[in-house]
Amino acid sequence: MNAPIFRDDLTIKPQGLSMSNEVAALKGRLLKSIGRSVYVYRVDCGGCNGCEIEIFAAITPIFDAERFGIKVVPSPRHADILLYTGAVTRAMRMPGLRAYEAAPEPKIVVSYGACGNTGGIFHDLYCVWGGTDQIVPVDVYIPGCPPSPQATIYGFAMALGLLDQKLKETHHVEGEGESVPLIHPEIPYALRVAVERRAREMAGYLHGKVIAEAFLAALAAPEPASVEARLAALTAQESDPRVVEIYGQLRAVLRAMVVEQAS
Amino acid sequence: MFKLLKEIFRTGQATALYPFAPPQTIKDSRGKPEHDPVKCIACAACTGACPANALSMKTDVAAGTRTWAINYGQCVFCGRCQEVCPTNAIALTTEFELAVARKDDLITRATFKLAYCRTCGAAFSTLKEVDYVARLLGALAETPKEAERIRAHAEICPACKRRLDVEEMAQANPVRQMECL
Repeated sequence: MNAPIFRDDLTIKPQGLSMSNEVAALKGRLLKSIGRSVYVYRVDCGGCNGCEIEIFAAITPIFDAERFGIKVVPSPRHADILLYTGAVTRAMRMPGLRAYEAAPEPKIVVSYGACGNTGGIFHDLYCVWGGTDQIVPVDVYIPGCPPSPQATIYGFAMALGLLDQKLKETHHVEGEGESVPLIHPEIPYALRVAVERRAREMAGYLHGKVIAEAFLAALAAPEPASVEARLAALTAQESDPRVVEIYGQLRAVLRAMVVEQAS
Repeated sequence: MFKLLKEIFRTGQATALYPFAPPQTIKDSRGKPEHDPVKCIACAACTGACPANALSMKTDVAAGTRTWAINYGQCVFCGRCQEVCPTNAIALTTEFELAVARKDDLITRATFKLAYCRTCGAAFSTLKEVDYVARLLGALAETPKEAERIRAHAEICPACKRRLDVEEMAQANPVRQMECL
């Protein structure tokens, strides 16, 4: 009765489509060098619209994807590239397949965003197939949540054979005697904790850590200048008034702890 | 006509030159989380924090390894891993050129060796994590004897540690313990 329920038991894994050798050869040529404008049809398979906003940002004059002949078209029948966004929900599986069938051969399929690649943050939902490659064969994966317009242009340039792939699969294996250095061992532990805690209270989780790290690095720097002078220099370098305020607060924490230690 | 040309020259070029010029990224733009496996202690804090389950950790007791992996195709670039990392081994960069043609290229792995309990011999952590914890807590110890005790405690598994704690408590003088409190 209380047996664990897994998503894979509740959903059906759809079979991917296959294509003939002739079409595959044509597609290979298209991927290598297209030599003309490409028409892109965008298929939203249950995305949050973040990806769509970035696609439209990519065709604005600032990023101007149309200078490469990349044009967004309103019908899959005109398309060379099908751009799938979204995690492929149960309801959008058939429309996604219909768009694929409607596009003329040879066609390039681009999976766009974290959801399109693997399902992203929605990967374990009951109604999500988890990625474009579950229903149609994908040629290029563009990661990002959402991918920035520049990442979009890079992905298209890669799909059209203009730029080379940079990311490669890597596997690091631990070597002999690998040892991790302690972070700022010269600063008392209680002070490190107090500084990081205050910075996170002030700036939120991610930037709090970044700001605390910059502060501790300045504190631990082996410079001849005094601690106060080093921290003043760090504050003077910063142009963001919010970060300057946080540095001020962290210096107050430091002063309070030093005074407490002295008394 | 002249007015229009003048306006065009005044405005200059609005379009970013990328990909023909280096990309213009700002300092806080969130890109590829870069993992430094040498700095990583395989503590799995990041895999617990990752909201999209892009980070994973698999332990293979038979092979004596623990493998950390990131799938950039699943990553949502939130920076939670950077937030929780105790050794600053993973941090977001501004790198965004991540598109791939082969899905396996999205995955980066790192394999670490397991640590075995000094008392019972069961695998309970990674060597690097035990070493890091022993050095971190050892630096806080007031006497060398205390540092030695901390290292000995770090190298045994939680079950054996509980047993050892009970034994140490039994050996200690409980009256004295009460006075301390």
